[in-house]
Amino acid sequence: MTVLTQSRKPRFAAETMTPYTFITPAILVILGGLLYPVFMAFYLSFYDWEIGRDLAKAPFMGVDNFVRMVQDPQVWEVLWVTLRFGFWTITIEMTLGVALALLLEKPIRGASFFRTIFILPLMVSPVVVGLIWRYLFDARIGWINYYLGAFFGIEPQVWLGDADLAFFAIVFTDIWQWTPFIFIIVIAGLQALPSEVVEASTIDGANWYQQVFLVKLPMIKSILVIALLMRLIDVFRGLEVMLIMTGGGPGRATELLSLHIYNRAFDTQQLGYASAISVLLILIVFAISTAILTMANPMKSKSDV
Amino acid sequence: MRHVLKKGLLSMGAFAFVTAAAFANPYEKFEGTTIVVSWPALSHFKKAEDLVAEFTEETGIEVEIDALQYLKLRDRQLLEMSKNEGEYDVVSWVVMWKGEYVSKGLLTPLSQFYTSGSLVDPNYDLDDIADAYLQNGGVVGGKKGYMPGKSGAMYGVPFGAETSILAYRKDIFEEQGLKVPETYDELRDVMQKLHEAGIPALTSRGKTGHQITAAWLLHLAPLGGKIFDDQWNPVINSPEAVEAAQVLREVAQTGPKGIPTFGFGEAAAAFLQGEAAMHLDTLKIAAMSRDPKLSKIDGKVGYALHPVGSRCGSETGGFAAGIPANAPNKEAAFLFLQYMTSKAGDQRMVELGGDPVRISTLKNNADKFDEYAVVAEQLPCADPDWRPLIPEWNELNIDVLGQALTEVITTDKPIQPIMDAANEKARAIMEREGYYLWQ
Repeated sequence: MTVLTQSRKPRFAAETMTPYTFITPAILVILGGLLYPVFMAFYLSFYDWEIGRDLAKAPFMGVDNFVRMVQDPQVWEVLWVTLRFGFWTITIEMTLGVALALLLEKPIRGASFFRTIFILPLMVSPVVVGLIWRYLFDARIGWINYYLGAFFGIEPQVWLGDADLAFFAIVFTDIWQWTPFIFIIVIAGLQALPSEVVEASTIDGANWYQQVFLVKLPMIKSILVIALLMRLIDVFRGLEVMLIMTGGGPGRATELLSLHIYNRAFDTQQLGYASAISVLLILIVFAISTAILTMANPMKSKSDV
Repeated sequence: MRHVLKKGLLSMGAFAFVTAAAFANPYEKFEGTTIVVSWPALSHFKKAEDLVAEFTEETGIEVEIDALQYLKLRDRQLLEMSKNEGEYDVVSWVVMWKGEYVSKGLLTPLSQFYTSGSLVDPNYDLDDIADAYLQNGGVVGGKKGYMPGKSGAMYGVPFGAETSILAYRKDIFEEQGLKVPETYDELRDVMQKLHEAGIPALTSRGKTGHQITAAWLLHLAPLGGKIFDDQWNPVINSPEAVEAAQVLREVAQTGPKGIPTFGFGEAAAAFLQGEAAMHLDTLKIAAMSRDPKLSKIDGKVGYALHPVGSRCGSETGGFAAGIPANAPNKEAAFLFLQYMTSKAGDQRMVELGGDPVRISTLKNNADKFDEYAVVAEQLPCADPDWRPLIPEWNELNIDVLGQALTEVITTDKPIQPIMDAANEKARAIMEREGYYLWQ
């Protein structure tokens, strides 16, 4: 009895320890690169600190920053902008991306050419995207005003200086850049579908509509969920394009939550308050991610592995 | 081995001592030193690169320039200057940051160098530098913390400093039979007439944040307005302030398309590309209009004083340069600043297409450039209280005024309620920062 347990125990420990040994480096990286900054953001949100002052001497604020945040109409204003932005961009991107993927799924002539073209915007760095569209939408020298005037006789518009037009402009730019992302993920999913199922549905007499909505899309549901999740997180993270195109203006019409945090932290040097808003951002993204993953977890079927 | 090393060090020390006693010129001691300069990517500073090269050739002090978009300088400089040991030896700041930098203890008082006979050039003549520029950019801690006064100390010298003048298209004014405006009433009248003739009148900055506030301040001072009264009560909803906002709205309505998106660069470009008849902002526009790379209107530009409302009041702004508290090569940095703003350096800046900071330079070159006589006449009107250069100004500038004024020019809502709301916000900030504890 005692001999048995003795001979078993070390083997049992070694077997269970091996995977943990292998994931230790990854955990360390996550701890250092992710949890530490998040912890610092929490820590800073209880203080009033500006760059250039000694952090150790920063006055402790308690929950003042959080109280101020909840009462700050500007925070709710930019949150509303962010949600509207997320709704329009993600809805249109998902629809367009899936539609394009279904169109270019079959080996038609030039499909690979179109695929490459569609993916190009994804390759451009956000800073460059911001610059390109800022000049395209420019009221004075922009091509958009020029061609709208030349072909449709439309008066030049101050695209980035009018609250509604500027909002439209950033939504448009985001769709231009991120539809290819949905497209590329969906087309990969579609091509990985077992051809037997599709053939079987054809033999059973399913029409195109039935094949898409009852066979193909349900089968790539988990991929769609992942794409949606990543876009949603991106919406709350996105900053560079708006920073360059509009700087958040006019007013706060295009100021997304993360840009608001950036402006608070660096323009007005309220790093403690900005950290408090970042905590809100983390909570929102965490809540949305959890909600989506509970509704449709792509890993669920494999969770017992 | 150790003995040999010790001996070697000793003899090296002795050698250094001997050479120290025999310097041929004030720069020799620093030959081979490299100083790092942080300044804006603006026309004046690009032109100054030639003078920097001449400085290196003459002194043997190498200079590395880190040029950034001017509003991005603050983030970078604050980060660098808050380290224990910084990279920058010279930083150039927009005058509105001086209070913040000094209150955080990030700059070296220049008095540290002015006590050293081996560093100070006896022919430098500090009094020749335009007083408005020196006080506004370089002196901190005077009256109200930012204006001239006995409690002030010098932290920087103006380089790329400016005031505002009116630049106008001579050809357009002649063609339309218009008189160059001297008062705000005339200016508003001219704007309407140009607009009716289908010509975009006055270009202006208008982008949300710092830019639109700067545009409004240009009208606020001559119309008799201020940001605070003497007890730090905000008065940005006064009749004068509301009138300035009204002028800004008219400017946006009669000026070139896109003013709500214009920063300084875009506003200037509209004028330089011939798409606006007037530019009422920094004097830097004059040198820019002579640069064929930037301008299509060289030779067509006339200059006049900033129009007056109830008083004459023009901008005090632009840049000053100083030495961070954590700079590695402070003395070489001081020599650099002194060289760039010396009488000879200032004259070279004019020849290179930059803007002078010395009264003598303005006078000596008055016959060469049209705007110099105007600038010399404008300088006494440059308002040292043009904007409150207090640490809280950044938040008021960007978050309060920058937002309210956007509402003024992008909507047609009544202006008074917008400014009333902004005034309340400004008061709350001042309250939070403890300005009313003495009342």
